[in-house]
Amino acid sequence: MSPEIKASTEKKIKELMSRYPKKQAAILPVLHLVQRELGYISEDGEKWVADLLGINPVKVREVVTFYSMLSRKPLGKYHIQICSNLTCSLMGAESLIDYVSEKLGIKPGETSEDGKFTLTTVECLGACDQAPSMMINTDYYGNMDKKKIDKILKELDK
Amino acid sequence: MPEKILTKDFDVKHLFKIDEYMKKGGYKTLTRVLKELKPEDVMSEVKAAHLRGRGGAGFPAGVKWGFVPKDVDKPKYLCVNADEGEPGTFKDRYIMTHNPHLLLEGIVMTCFAVGIHTAYIYIRGEYENMAVRLENAISEAEAKGFIGKNILKTGFDLNVTVHRGAGAYICGEETALLESLEGKRGNPRLKPPFPAAVGLFQNPTVINNVETLSNVPCIMEKGADWFVKQGLSEDGGTRLFGVSGKVKKPGVYELPVGTSLKELVYTYAGGIKSGKKLKAVIPGGMSSPILKPDEIDISMDCASLMKADSMLGSGAVIVLDEDVPIIDVLRKVTQFYSHESCGQCTPCRIGNSWINKIVKRIYRGEGKKEDLDKIEKLASNILGRTLCPLGDAAAMPILSIVKKFRKELESFIKG
Amino acid sequence: MVEIFINDSAIKVKEGTTVLKAAEKAGIHIPHICFHDAFPPEGSCRMCLVEIEGHPCLELACSTQVREGMKVYTETENVRDARKGVLEFILAEHPMDCPICDKAGECTLQDYYEQYGLFESDFLEEKERKDKKVDIGKGLILDRERCVLCTRCVRFLRDITKTGELGVFERGVRSEIGIFGDQYIDNNYAGNLVELCPVGAITDKDFRFKTRNWFLKKGASVCPLCSRGCQIFIEYHPGFARFKVPKRVYRISSRVTSRDQSQKEKGYWICDIGRYGYSYMDKDRAENIILKQKNRPAERGEAEAFLGEKIKKLIYRNKLQRMGVVLNTWLTNEELFLARKIFTLDLELEKVFFTELDTGEKDDLLLTADRTPNKKGAEEIGFEINQIEKQKLFDETELLIVFWSSPFGLGSITELLPELSKVRTKILFTPFKRKWNDAFDLVIPTLVPAEKGGSFTNIDGKVQHFDPVLSPPGEARAEWEWLVSLGKEIEVDFNSYVGMKFPYDVYKKMKDKIEFFR
Repeated sequence: MSPEIKASTEKKIKELMSRYPKKQAAILPVLHLVQRELGYISEDGEKWVADLLGINPVKVREVVTFYSMLSRKPLGKYHIQICSNLTCSLMGAESLIDYVSEKLGIKPGETSEDGKFTLTTVECLGACDQAPSMMINTDYYGNMDKKKIDKILKELDK
Repeated sequence: MPEKILTKDFDVKHLFKIDEYMKKGGYKTLTRVLKELKPEDVMSEVKAAHLRGRGGAGFPAGVKWGFVPKDVDKPKYLCVNADEGEPGTFKDRYIMTHNPHLLLEGIVMTCFAVGIHTAYIYIRGEYENMAVRLENAISEAEAKGFIGKNILKTGFDLNVTVHRGAGAYICGEETALLESLEGKRGNPRLKPPFPAAVGLFQNPTVINNVETLSNVPCIMEKGADWFVKQGLSEDGGTRLFGVSGKVKKPGVYELPVGTSLKELVYTYAGGIKSGKKLKAVIPGGMSSPILKPDEIDISMDCASLMKADSMLGSGAVIVLDEDVPIIDVLRKVTQFYSHESCGQCTPCRIGNSWINKIVKRIYRGEGKKEDLDKIEKLASNILGRTLCPLGDAAAMPILSIVKKFRKELESFIKG
Repeated sequence: MVEIFINDSAIKVKEGTTVLKAAEKAGIHIPHICFHDAFPPEGSCRMCLVEIEGHPCLELACSTQVREGMKVYTETENVRDARKGVLEFILAEHPMDCPICDKAGECTLQDYYEQYGLFESDFLEEKERKDKKVDIGKGLILDRERCVLCTRCVRFLRDITKTGELGVFERGVRSEIGIFGDQYIDNNYAGNLVELCPVGAITDKDFRFKTRNWFLKKGASVCPLCSRGCQIFIEYHPGFARFKVPKRVYRISSRVTSRDQSQKEKGYWICDIGRYGYSYMDKDRAENIILKQKNRPAERGEAEAFLGEKIKKLIYRNKLQRMGVVLNTWLTNEELFLARKIFTLDLELEKVFFTELDTGEKDDLLLTADRTPNKKGAEEIGFEINQIEKQKLFDETELLIVFWSSPFGLGSITELLPELSKVRTKILFTPFKRKWNDAFDLVIPTLVPAEKGGSFTNIDGKVQHFDPVLSPPGEARAEWEWLVSLGKEIEVDFNSYVGMKFPYDVYKKMKDKIEFFR
């Protein structure tokens, strides 16, 4: 069963693929677009990408399971990624992770029942001067504390 | 006040837009280089400038370019390493956010020097917003004829593509980056052969860090001699030092190569927050061996730090104060490397995980007195025995922390 | 040639040779796990690290090429420490399954631990838990905890069979091998993965839990299931003193090693048809000489006399045109040579035919369409492989001798059976007990190739000799032995057959008479 990919996304994907001498090289940009569209990389998604790039689906799964940002399970509408690396931890990230976890009722790695929030801990986001740092989907949030997080979550919940 | 090269115009509001960049003199040097100079001129100038790679390995850029075979009938590639995964490092993000055109100008000059017509910017997946900004900048540059076919009507062609990574620190290692760009798992390759001869799609490839390439326009504008003089040691130019941790003013500081670490922490970054005492400094990203307070009177250049058994790495300075339990530092280090190991070679895959398990057990309060010796033995079995430098990047900080803070770690085991 | 020094001894090797291969040439084994001759170096196990003078770090022997004057040291303290280190890492995350693991006795980890390890474990943590019984297709079972991620299996399926069913998933210490969904391994070379795997991570249902490798004996032989004639080992259980074992042959394995240059292009593999198709050796074997006129199994002398008398009578009556022979291409070179000598040359028979060839699909690697081992041999000996012409074969035929050596193929028999009633005396030489044996007046039990000595000529024209590996069941004897005594019995050219005590005696005669076999 083919996954539901918008025609405009497919067009973007084909344009991307033309920039590489070998189709397989486009796999990461393609998977990003597929994940953005479907919310995750399903088995059908893997097969679709394999067909598109002319490779064995095993090779697609090899890539999907290697990279931390690609998910084989559906992600929530808002993917909250809190850095748990050195500087952020020194500045209190671990207690923030516990706080968010408790507030949303999910453990790191889980998605809320209403499909709105996924919480994960990630390694260094490259925003150490604003530690503790957090990323929601593609947006960075720095200098986090409980109050700021409350505000952000409230906004998103609307 | 030392002169700034990379962050010179960071206060200009929309510097990332080509019109603002050109108002400040951007792309003038590129025009002169393409119209008046030969590729060899650029390469020899960069060699003379002693421009060391700013990614972490510190290899001289001009020398690396020289390794690319000249008369081959194969396409050559430039891969820009914008994977910036070394914990504590955030300088490339600054360049790509505030001044992407500086990077692009450096890319075009580099490709001209080596005879490359296809460039890929491998940017980490988390930097999505910067990737979009770069893509917009490329479109602007193409519209003005600085990138694309027949650049500035000189006959030089260059295509630049932004390629997103997807969350793997190992892809910052140059051969893993190539594997990832080819659409595979980020498993580093055996060297030799080196990427300059056998790289992307088996063709000659140059891989350089964002900051390294961003220095090329200045070198070509002001000359190698001027560039060398900006540094306080034999290495030329300035570096973007990223300071974070328990300092009053964390951020990016552009200072001459060879600036004193003490000055960086106390003068520029404002010293320790809340009047606490300094406990330790990690000078060059998490992979660099830790320094104690009596060791920070040192020049931030490759040679000096190597002499002190540490490394300049990515110039990312993490400052720890007296309240930081060293066990927290150690467990963050082991957590990171065991999570980021690609899993290809035995010592890194299993060694890092084993050490991580021991440290976690110590943190839980179940440490045994043989544990620290065991950690040292395991880390020594990783050091120098792995397929790629990640093994060393893990083993070196672990060994330095266990050695220099042994007493404190032992206290977690007894008490 | 390049001269290098290994442990201070000089050795000369070709340019481009790796340190590992150079050491092998010098008789020094450098331990390695992920390296295999069939693939380019992988460099991931780190077991082959050696010291090279002038290099600050230890280097991999499998991928470092020799340079003039290089000095390699394989037994320094540093190198020994490195080997122990790698072993310790692998064993830390390795389940202690030896008591239930099929690989015990032929396991790289066990062997290397014995030679280079012998340390106490001080791994106090929880081992990674993974799936232990993953069905990956074709009867293969993957145990992910035992897997050391040498990736030989992945590389085999990518580079040799080019089917790429396996991949490496996840990252770091959670890395594991697997298939995609239900795309199981489905090619004719899957069995090689079991041999390739250095540990017991990939096992096959055919061998799983059946026996222990140290109970088995290995005999060298040639696979007769197609005309490629791959070199194999027949691994059999010699039996216990006090009680029976359920079968003789437990496993067929590849005998093609790096020393056999001629097979090197084809690699180090055998196909699954040859590997798993050994049950015919132990099933439904004919063990007794059945002479229809007697009520008990006949003796060898009786059968010889019966057969000789029938032929001599026809010679006497000058009615040899009433004799027919059906041969097949499972017979060895020696047997076919003797058959030609007796039937075509001595007796000048015209009615000499061959049973239909078993055929199947060929593949790109080893398997040929011709599924018999010796068609080329029959051709080189001078036969035309004439299929049975029923008209001709049964036209006033009084004596018919059939050699039925293949365990497969019913074609010709269904043709022959209805016609057999026309023939007065019918004699069958076969290793197998089949229901059509009843139609014959004399059934003589013979041997399968694993039980006799001889040679086959393969599709490439290579003559391969083999010795008996298994003992003959019951009264069964090789066809060549019967043919030698028949040759003597008919007394047309007695002296030729004197002195033929072993297959090689026959082969010597072949070399003399036919240029191809020189």
